[in-house]
Amino acid sequence: MNRYFYYNVFLGSMLNLMLYVPHILIKYRYNGAISSMLVAVAIGTGLAYLFTTVTQAFPGKGLPEILYIFFPRAIVIPILLFLAAMWYVASAIAIIAYAVLINRFFNPDTSAIIVLGLLTLVCIYGATRSTLSVMFMMEMGLIINTPLILFILMKSVRSENISWDAIRTIANYWNQMPQLTPIAAASYIFTGYINFSIYNRLTPPNFRLKFRWMIPVFCTVIMLISFFVPIGFHGTETVVHYIYLWSVTSDSLIMNYGFIERVIFVFLILYLNLTLIYTTSGWHQAIEMIKSCFPSNKPDVDQREIPWINWAIATLFAIVSLLYLHFFDEKESFKLASAWLVLRLFAEAGTVFLLFGMTLRYRRKSSL
Amino acid sequence: MLNRITTLFAEAKDLNTYRMSNKEMVIEIAYISSLCDESKVSDFILVPFQKELQPFDDIVERNPQFQIIQDPAMWASIILRGFVLLSVKGRIYALDTARIIRNETPATQVETAILGPQLALSEDMVDSINIIRSRYPSPELAMEEKTIGSMSHTRIMILYDNRHVDPNVLSEVRSKLQSIRIDFLNAAGQLERKLSGKLGLLPTIIITERPDRVANSLQRGKIVLLLQGTMFALIMPATFYEFMHAVDDNYDSFWMTRMLILLRYFGVILTITMPALYIAVISYNPELFRVQLAFSIAGSRSAVPYPSFIEVFIMLFMIESLIEASLRLPKYIGSTATTVGGLILGQAAQQAGLVSSIMIIVTSVVAISNFVVPVNNMSISIRFMKYPLIVPAIFFGLTGVTVGIFALLCYMTHLRSFGKPYFRIFGPIKAYTSDIGQVSEE
Repeated sequence: MNRYFYYNVFLGSMLNLMLYVPHILIKYRYNGAISSMLVAVAIGTGLAYLFTTVTQAFPGKGLPEILYIFFPRAIVIPILLFLAAMWYVASAIAIIAYAVLINRFFNPDTSAIIVLGLLTLVCIYGATRSTLSVMFMMEMGLIINTPLILFILMKSVRSENISWDAIRTIANYWNQMPQLTPIAAASYIFTGYINFSIYNRLTPPNFRLKFRWMIPVFCTVIMLISFFVPIGFHGTETVVHYIYLWSVTSDSLIMNYGFIERVIFVFLILYLNLTLIYTTSGWHQAIEMIKSCFPSNKPDVDQREIPWINWAIATLFAIVSLLYLHFFDEKESFKLASAWLVLRLFAEAGTVFLLFGMTLRYRRKSSL
Repeated sequence: MLNRITTLFAEAKDLNTYRMSNKEMVIEIAYISSLCDESKVSDFILVPFQKELQPFDDIVERNPQFQIIQDPAMWASIILRGFVLLSVKGRIYALDTARIIRNETPATQVETAILGPQLALSEDMVDSINIIRSRYPSPELAMEEKTIGSMSHTRIMILYDNRHVDPNVLSEVRSKLQSIRIDFLNAAGQLERKLSGKLGLLPTIIITERPDRVANSLQRGKIVLLLQGTMFALIMPATFYEFMHAVDDNYDSFWMTRMLILLRYFGVILTITMPALYIAVISYNPELFRVQLAFSIAGSRSAVPYPSFIEVFIMLFMIESLIEASLRLPKYIGSTATTVGGLILGQAAQQAGLVSSIMIIVTSVVAISNFVVPVNNMSISIRFMKYPLIVPAIFFGLTGVTVGIFALLCYMTHLRSFGKPYFRIFGPIKAYTSDIGQVSEE
């Protein structure tokens, strides 16, 4: 069942647009974005390999269960709460950004808060489902949406209006020193594997993860496209002016045949789906992390009766998101996203290294 | 015995109670003549008793068709099932003489196939089992009988292939059947609703009349429920894809049937989303379509004086009443209703400026593509599904439709049919590969 792992990877890498990753990278296009991307490929792939080694050592166990093997409860609970917050913030940034985006492009008459209310309502419903259901939902959602997204990406790459000259100009800045923020942003594209910290509960006992080379290959392609194509469309200078870079880029494309002319509508609908899937999955994981803090909690991957605590936590998430949108605007959201990306890089690396070290020790102990 | 039976039953003319005697003994018999085959009663009881070729108590003891009944509380229900009750030398025996009125050699009507078998299941359970057994000649075919309904005592039969069946599913089916509380069980759909929950949007049990579908399902390890008195069988567990799959798909040309399957999915998507999309595009995002199309849509509803969702409600009301009317009317006037309705929907409504011509196209697409679903209970569920999507479309336009479809997706992926995933692309292809969600034994 390898594909379920790669769904997470694909989802994470394709969703980078919603977390302002291209915008952050393009901000640094003259001072180190490209070298940072190269570093990010190494970091992202390395972390993914280490992490998958850990999860394969404990099939059927999620991150909370693995942590409980190594550490006492008092240490594990803060870690879990911290990680839950990380997951929640990522999904919240994505969904809040999307609510604003919808308000801009689709429904300019309503307020963003009402749109966000609708989106969070669905995400509450989706996130409270069982882990297995969320995984199936992710699968079906990606199977329906990914072909069209790849179609748009291919269309953008092969467009006649793209200026390869601008891309080459930016590519000449490859010899600048890498910087932390673009590294963090670019390595986010590789971070889909970390979702397996909860979904590893679903892996069957004799699970072996194959085709791990697909992580760097696919994610690098997506990273290059999402960085260079907007530059090709908007030119080296103008490109930095757009915060929702890819929405504007997709609006530069046109479909000559069929009912729909402007690609942006297809693009927005597809990314709305992806964002909903991502948020549902992220909130679900955050819920599971928080639930794991309780001693009485028994992880059940296919719970038929939805416990009330799922609803409670998800509703809390939704309320916090709504309050956030009420009090903060996009600029602060963008700053939060950048800060979150950097923090995420360290948190994730820390978690992965900690787990990897512990797994090595665990193996040595159990082999003795 | 006779006194007791006459007190048990209300004043009924068809309740026959006799006391008979020959040289050796006196017997009492009781039966309901309308339920029984009287020639059987005379062949098995009256004639041998009178001829006295062999002592009658010897006959009833040796012939296994006479079952000894110990519990007097069972008498009434036994007689009501078409048995003859007889008391011989203080012992009570029952003999099955039931005469069941049923449709003779029924042809498939609900789920037809051109090149498939034309014989449907029968309303009598024994005949249905005969049809199934002859299609599924396997010693592994297991059957269990149960009765459901505190008043109707409907007999149901659980059929499964002992070798292929999933024991978890089987035990879940048994326990669910055990927990059913109902007075009268008349039809297969009633049992389906009791088994899969009243509020489900989509069916998780296939209701079919086709013996070939039943045999295929048995072979794939599914469980089949037969009800006495209906010609439909229930098949469980079922996935969404099986509802989209007609039996013809295995009989006809490969490429065409693949295309038809695709067409069915496309039809289902259209019938669910079209009304909502119409509202979203007209009232919120007309810029979605290319300019020429947007203009022609806007132009076609220039005469319509109210918002798009009212238009949609009018047309959906019309088409749903048309479908309902053609179902309810006697067959002879049924075609009149559709003709009149079709004329009004097609021409007059648009010329009067009540609805746009695009809306008429939308309505007919919605209605026609609803009928491509092969299994009837799924078709009816899908007929409802467009309404929940209209609500978010009214308030949020295109966003609402997308979000609504996503919620539907979440709902469908969370559905389980007796513990089996209902909506997923495909499970493990090879039997020995493991699946996600398998819990390791510790």
